[in-house]
Amino acid sequence: MRSVRRVVRVAAYFPAQSSDGRPVAARDEDAFTLAATAAERAWSGRREEPGPVLVHALGDFPEVVEWGFSALLGRETVVSRAPGSAVQLAKTLEELEKGEGGPAILVTAEFPERAPSMPPTKSSSSGAGAVAYLLAPTEEARPFHLGKPTAGRTALSATLHLVGSGDAGASGTVFVGDWDRPPESGGSGELKALGSEEAEDLHRVSEGAYIPRARYLENLPSRWRFLAETCEACHRTTFPSRRVCRHCGRADALTPVELPYEGGRVVAVTTVSAGGQPTEFDAQVAASGPYDVALVELARGMRVTLQVTDSTPGKLRVGDHVNTFLRRLYPMEGEWRYGRKAVPISTGGSTSRPGGVP
Amino acid sequence: MTHRAAIVGAGHTPFGSLDSGPRALVRSAVRGAFASVDRGAERRDVHEAFLATLGFGGHQIGNAAAALAEEAGLVGVPVTRVENACASGAFALRSAVASLSSGVSPLVLVTGVEKMTDVTNARRRYWLGVSGDTEWERSAGLTFAGVYALIASRYFAEHGDASEALAEVASKNHENGALNPNAHFHRKVTREEVRAAPRVARPLGLFDCCPVSDGAAALLLTTPELAHRFTDTPVYVDATGAGTDFLAVQERPELTRFRATHLAAHEAFRSAGWNRSDVSLLEVHDCFTIAELLALEDLGFVGPGEAAALTLSGATRRDGRLPVNPDGGLKAKGHPIGATGVSQVYEVFLQLRGQAGQRQVAHAEHALAHNVGGAGATAAVSLFSVG
Repeated sequence: MRSVRRVVRVAAYFPAQSSDGRPVAARDEDAFTLAATAAERAWSGRREEPGPVLVHALGDFPEVVEWGFSALLGRETVVSRAPGSAVQLAKTLEELEKGEGGPAILVTAEFPERAPSMPPTKSSSSGAGAVAYLLAPTEEARPFHLGKPTAGRTALSATLHLVGSGDAGASGTVFVGDWDRPPESGGSGELKALGSEEAEDLHRVSEGAYIPRARYLENLPSRWRFLAETCEACHRTTFPSRRVCRHCGRADALTPVELPYEGGRVVAVTTVSAGGQPTEFDAQVAASGPYDVALVELARGMRVTLQVTDSTPGKLRVGDHVNTFLRRLYPMEGEWRYGRKAVPISTGGSTSRPGGVP
Repeated sequence: MTHRAAIVGAGHTPFGSLDSGPRALVRSAVRGAFASVDRGAERRDVHEAFLATLGFGGHQIGNAAAALAEEAGLVGVPVTRVENACASGAFALRSAVASLSSGVSPLVLVTGVEKMTDVTNARRRYWLGVSGDTEWERSAGLTFAGVYALIASRYFAEHGDASEALAEVASKNHENGALNPNAHFHRKVTREEVRAAPRVARPLGLFDCCPVSDGAAALLLTTPELAHRFTDTPVYVDATGAGTDFLAVQERPELTRFRATHLAAHEAFRSAGWNRSDVSLLEVHDCFTIAELLALEDLGFVGPGEAAALTLSGATRRDGRLPVNPDGGLKAKGHPIGATGVSQVYEVFLQLRGQAGQRQVAHAEHALAHNVGGAGATAAVSLFSVG
């Protein structure tokens, strides 16, 4: 029997920060981090699955999307980019459903850097957000009803309409993340986009205690996917990945394992005051003040040091739980460096909405 | 008791924000070391030297050894630079002891130096970060204050709030520093002032952190057999232990224990055949107040979580039963990175010879010096005695 590709999951991600009840991007977000968060939620549960993934990115994205999804998903990706319109979304979905082959992710994100004051309504996209559709070969014929695409509407707003109207129920598994406070009518948005200071920083060249680009790229599997290694000889785990067991020194019996990026536990936490930050974070501190840094235990006793975002500094406590999201870390040598940050579950790090989880 | 080496001379510059550059500091400390040798020492007897420095500021990050040879009047003599961040000094001493036992040189010079105050604030913070884990800790927004703050946070979670004990560490060390003419700070601070100071990285505040200082210190060492040729009161090095640990604290199973210190202490006490109760004074690495509590536990003087009570009991004061950091420690004396481990031994040299003046500890016969690199990635422990 011929397999067809169908939408099996829709994952939406909206920034938790909100000035008036609607999602607003934080300073450390951009179209790529929004899309990455939606895409990894759509892909969750399939991290062990082999094979390449088609990624269609609809919208206005920074260059990092060309290779970023490959690093995020830990596999070969074929990335294509197109405008983020509802018409394009419908067209791409239709093409993907007709096509044969492995899984595909269609991701669209809006990061209204240029139009921060779009009037927010339930059916039109407002502020920032992202949606990822996961299409996978299935033997069940489950047509996906997007509805008739309206010219001029964005891909994201078409999806918001879909999720909001409940049509999504017909599409199979729907998983909506981080939509605790859905868009409401009225009010105008405020976008805390890249400040001019940081834009200038982007072109500053570090003096030496920095991560050269090659090493940054080399470490992405551990930084973005929490790649660890279990040693079959001594049954212990090494994180970050070192391609050698740090316990017994053997390099020939390692099995890669990706640690969960949700549900970490805070082992230790501090609030770094202005003046206590490394110079890479000067512009961030000047713009938004102190920040928390936590040592987070992920699983198997493995720990990672993460900056905390989307929360008031000084509130996080040892023992609290956090989820992790890909965010901008700091600008260096002409590009943004990305990595995971922790978001307290109690303040918006939640990835499920009641009734939205399969 | 086996002596492994003998210290016959020691020199020290003032620590603080100084006008002198690193070469002048080296010159001054080395001159002081030679001048302190009771029966005199000749430069021609020094056939090997070690220089401890991070190279802060980067102006002579490479081949700094040659600068020591020039300033010490030893051009031609092999000099090796030892760099283990803040523990460079103790590791240089360890190298000197090993060198003496090889018989290459009758006298070995150890010098530690750092010049830290002549760079801009941004460059200073950059250089303060180069000895930590850059790939995970620094990219999460931590400097050393932040890393030690995480450790303090964990210590509080495991053993209860120790803020008052941290304040006592700072207050005690400032009181000692006030009696040390070479100290960066001579002002006493009360526990209340420590606790009320602005936070740098919660729970650590301004007075929980050591200052950024300039300074140098130097030691002249010889073999135990030759020691009396130079002085009647040599200070013997009875053991030097050392250890390492993961650079990033996220890779260590425990935050509140420095395994490198534990290993170094174990090696030192075992090879010297000492008991903890033999020690009459300690110089420990208190770069942040929490580090002094960790040191007392990791060195084996008290069990986990017990250093706070010991500190609050007054036992670690100059007149207590276990005096800790009578020179003011890194906290009040200052912390010119490469000089610190050498400076600790300078204090031991004075204390064990009864030359520490107003801050002299009574019955000082056996001393321990403990020097830590970064947040515990490297550590060394040395034991000293007289007679």
